[in-house]
Amino acid sequence: MRYALYFVASAAALVIQITWLSRLSPGGAVVDPLLVIVMTVGLLHGPEEGALVGAGAGLLQDLMTGAPLGLGMLAGVCVGFCAGLGERSIYVENVWLPGLAAWVLTLVRNAVWIGAAHLAGLLTASPLDVARITLLAACYNGLVAVPIFQGLRRLDAALVQLYERPRSM
Amino acid sequence: MPPYYGVRRRRLILFLLLSVLALGVLTQQLRTADRRGIGWIGTAAEAGLAPLVAGLSRVSDAVAQSWSFLHEIGTLRSENARLADEAARLREENARLRPAAQENARLRALLAFKEQQPFRTVAARVIGRDPSHWFSTILVDRGASEGVVRNDPVVTSDGLVGHVIETAGSWARVLLVLDPRSAVGVLADRSREAGVAEGQGRSVLRVKYLSRDADIQPGDQVVTSGLGQIYPRGLPVGAVVGVSRTGGDLFQEATLRPAADLDHLEDLLIIIRGAPGQLPR
Repeated sequence: MRYALYFVASAAALVIQITWLSRLSPGGAVVDPLLVIVMTVGLLHGPEEGALVGAGAGLLQDLMTGAPLGLGMLAGVCVGFCAGLGERSIYVENVWLPGLAAWVLTLVRNAVWIGAAHLAGLLTASPLDVARITLLAACYNGLVAVPIFQGLRRLDAALVQLYERPRSM
Repeated sequence: MPPYYGVRRRRLILFLLLSVLALGVLTQQLRTADRRGIGWIGTAAEAGLAPLVAGLSRVSDAVAQSWSFLHEIGTLRSENARLADEAARLREENARLRPAAQENARLRALLAFKEQQPFRTVAARVIGRDPSHWFSTILVDRGASEGVVRNDPVVTSDGLVGHVIETAGSWARVLLVLDPRSAVGVLADRSREAGVAEGQGRSVLRVKYLSRDADIQPGDQVVTSGLGQIYPRGLPVGAVVGVSRTGGDLFQEATLRPAADLDHLEDLLIIIRGAPGQLPR
């Protein structure tokens, strides 16, 4: 059931990103709610689930955005895995944690995504441009991460409670 | 071995497996001609979400129009009381009619362009765009059901936009000429010098393989050469804004500003090709 939630949330986030958020791109960077969803799964359920959901969400993003297939998938795997590494060592109740985590994970995502695109000969962007866009995107994602993380976390906890905890007789 | 190390190893193996899978997908499609092949599963996934994209795009248009209306109403507060009612009425009317007038002008230009062309075209509207800063593709609301096929050229009244790389029922994905995966055979209109205009992921194109002694000047208009299997001859591509010649190079390169405003695309024409493989002439 949780995976259905992740799929629906990812698809909805992606559609909103393509239609609405892509029109609002101050400085050339666009908010990436999908990254926040993958980050949430990683932080709440560990690196395995984070990497799996990251792979699926990244592939869906590649399919829908027209980017070369595999770039978003690879970046999603890394983001989910890295977020999951903080599962037990980060105090998730902290209000500002999602913002900070999204900021850092955006750097990770863009480093992997742009690095792989460069290695594949698909990008010739200048390092200055890469740094500018990455930092802007990190700030935008950090801002939207707080409400998205809190909302998803509550939904996720409700689904875990409902479907995954053994019921006492 | 302590259980902790077993868990770590399992995580690492899963991470490596998924990474290798992603790299496999990436390298596999890099071997295809236009560096993107999504297969039927991908097409099905896109077909499932495309109606949603189209719907939300229309909603956002309506919201943008409403926002514009409210914004203009808000500015009336600073005007004097006697003129307030009249100004509100005029601004409301203006807000309502301005998008229609702009659209009218765009469509008239497109129609005039269409009538000049010897080939069949289909008018399309942009319903989505690639949110990444680095690649340039858009989704349009016309697809296979209107006869659009892969590699159909796409233009505006100002010039070349790109070509179709994926199509299904009622949508198609267009690779813009700015995308690093795009390469267009071009001719300088004045000197008839041939080259290849490649996307840079930025707002300008780079024209390569111009012969070293070719007379290319800033301001020269560049059109499609008709070489290759995608674009017909003579479509405006852009204007030269810079030329670079270095001592040891065999070729010179030029920088080109696209003729079409690719940052603000709304209405487009898709040039429908005839029989498969046949270029419109």
